Amino acid sequence: MNLAFLPTLPFTLSYPLLFGVLLVAGMLGGELARIARIPRIIGYVVVGFVLGPFTQAMGMGSLLDEARIFVDLALGLVLFDLGRRMDLQWMRRDWTIAACGFAEALLAFFAVLATLLAFRYDPVEAGLAAAIAMTTSPAVLLLTVHDTHSEGQVTERAMNVVALNGLSASILVTILLGSAHFEARSQVEVAILHPLYLFLGSLALGAAMAWLSRVIARHIEKTREVHFALVAGMVVCAVGLASMLKLPVILALLALGLFARNDDRSYDLLNVNLAPVGRLLYIVLFVITGAALPLSSLMTAGIVGAAVAAARAAGKVTGILAIAPIGGIRIRQAIGLGAAVLPMSSLALLMLHDIARIFPAFAADLSTVLIACILLMELAGPFAVQWGLRFAGDALPVDPVATAQMTARTPTAPGD
Amino acid sequence: MPLEFTRSEPLTFGVELELMVLNTRDYNLSRGAQDLLARLAKRKLPGEVKPEITESMIEVNSAVNRRHGALVAELRTVRDAIMQEARRLNLAIAGGGAHPFHQWQERRIFATERFLHVSTLYGYLAKQFTVFGQHIHVGVASGDDAVYLTHALAPFIPHFIALSASSPFSQGVDTSFETSRLHAVSAFPLSGQMPPVVTWSEFNRYFDEMAGYGIVASMKDFYWDIRPKPEYGTIEIRICDTPLTMEGAAQLAAYAQTLAAHLLANRRRDALEPQYRVYGYNRFQACRFGYEAQLIDPYARTSVRLREHLLDTLERIAPDGERLEAKAPLDALWRMAQAAQNDTGWLRDRYAELKSMPDVVRMQARRWKESAREEAAQGRA
Repeated sequence: MNLAFLPTLPFTLSYPLLFGVLLVAGMLGGELARIARIPRIIGYVVVGFVLGPFTQAMGMGSLLDEARIFVDLALGLVLFDLGRRMDLQWMRRDWTIAACGFAEALLAFFAVLATLLAFRYDPVEAGLAAAIAMTTSPAVLLLTVHDTHSEGQVTERAMNVVALNGLSASILVTILLGSAHFEARSQVEVAILHPLYLFLGSLALGAAMAWLSRVIARHIEKTREVHFALVAGMVVCAVGLASMLKLPVILALLALGLFARNDDRSYDLLNVNLAPVGRLLYIVLFVITGAALPLSSLMTAGIVGAAVAAARAAGKVTGILAIAPIGGIRIRQAIGLGAAVLPMSSLALLMLHDIARIFPAFAADLSTVLIACILLMELAGPFAVQWGLRFAGDALPVDPVATAQMTARTPTAPGD
Repeated sequence: MPLEFTRSEPLTFGVELELMVLNTRDYNLSRGAQDLLARLAKRKLPGEVKPEITESMIEVNSAVNRRHGALVAELRTVRDAIMQEARRLNLAIAGGGAHPFHQWQERRIFATERFLHVSTLYGYLAKQFTVFGQHIHVGVASGDDAVYLTHALAPFIPHFIALSASSPFSQGVDTSFETSRLHAVSAFPLSGQMPPVVTWSEFNRYFDEMAGYGIVASMKDFYWDIRPKPEYGTIEIRICDTPLTMEGAAQLAAYAQTLAAHLLANRRRDALEPQYRVYGYNRFQACRFGYEAQLIDPYARTSVRLREHLLDTLERIAPDGERLEAKAPLDALWRMAQAAQNDTGWLRDRYAELKSMPDVVRMQARRWKESAREEAAQGRA
């Protein structure tokens, strides 16, 4: 009897199965976190901590490499969404928003650089690490905003500040990569052309895809359903094209979001809500991020990691508190904004991962320190954002009516 | 304890306008009233800008004015100040009676003691009350005049509905009504119209009875279409949708002022009962069909098209309008009625052209900023 119709051992883990397992496991972690009254993101990440050693025991490579396609898709979506929330017209009207973004990013950069130099790390490597530390995790911010139903000045400003620091970090990392090339004694042409290609290529890809989206949008029905398919499709295409062209997904998708929002004078594209599909990808992203953050890094580089995290937080909060109140927001809101830009997660991890590939010396020296720092902020960040948005009054109060404990006897006309 | 009616200078007038606070991303309602009001509090403005029931609304109260010209100038000043502050916060502001596509459950109650109290008492009605109306106050000399005028103005309520209508869309759909806002008002138990009392002392007896039952504590608790406002010494017309422009709001106010002047000078002595037998029906007709509504005249036992009734009325009160320096706004309203135009028509046209609700609201916000109503009306005439 021929039993060839039966599956053969050993089983191979297919992408759909991997995605499904990560999604369900992450969701369950999130539910546990909800029951424990902590941010869901912590639940997703902790599931990753648990799954990390498992996958290695199963003989798989790092999840970050094995499931890179999911990471790119998820991060692509995050960065696109963030780019879309960046409002250049507003920045022109209120200079303090851009100033805030640059101040907190620069102060974080120098604080981290100084800390690492104090620990006697190589200046170029320390610079790269400091550039990565400028970024705020857009995924943590977006997901927390969604989970807490946040709305208001702090939410909007945080989005713009985070988009700006992501943009400046990407640019700085690309420039520093040039210096890294010099140190690695690559050809001069490569040292100049590579960063230039990464930067201009990403911008061009983002702009081209945004233009194409608008052209298509003009010829289709202007309903949420149809535009949702268009936008989601274009985002996935852009992620694919970026990997095909060896361009950074981060910068390309940030550019796509930015152009889609700010270069659309005829308002062709509807601002569709990508949250339903985004949530699935975000959960998987956080689980994979957790799996790529070995707890052992805390043993080997915990102290430097904590010092870097503290210096970064101090730099960011100082930058925000120095500038934000000039823009007319209340001190309470400025403090909330400071807390909202603290998280570090997959964006930093992915930048680190990609630099390490091009520049192996960096991987050997500094990646454990950064991983320890990311790990600490991965756990502290969601709390910080949640607290910040609540403190500023942007998060939906749990039950404003019940908490006010009003008794209802006499009617009062609301339309007075 | 009888309600004291504060005397005020007859025919002075003022308006209250509820406005939408929007984000500039998808033009949904946004939580921004608190930040906007905090910024406006630092500026010296005529009248007042106040919070409303949810955090996506603000209310502009004008000062007391004698003439349309002064009112419209004041409203423009306030509008420009609001726009300046809103731009810094990346918020847009718009007129219109209801937001075309917001979901009421997403709204947040503005956390003052009174609004939380209203929310506790009325449950979901409070959030559904995120609708935007214009109230017009007209000064009267006595409580008796206020009661008289409240009744005398009631037959003209359909005019105000048709002229001000600016809420054809609700929760993302075309309601087929000229104004959908009034349904949010009708849900409240003390909406409707004043009972047929004819003097201020009669009114006081009625009020005492209701207060005795614990149903009301002050005049604020009645939200009739028209009500006396003893604290201000005015009658207050509460039926209008907020127009898409400040100029439109001032025109409606001028109509109310002139109509009040005419009705005080030419007192009506008809029995009230027939009037209120058809009141609800006429009001519905105006909400649903606007200028095309068929109004029942219970005294003549006939019906007349709202547009003709309105045009006749405008011609009849024109001399009073001249005296009150309100010729220009009344002429503008006459042209609107003649051409059967109102803000609801404008919004439907924008939707037909742009085929997306967010784009309609974007145009609504632009219109409020630019206020082309008067010019557009003249251009079309």
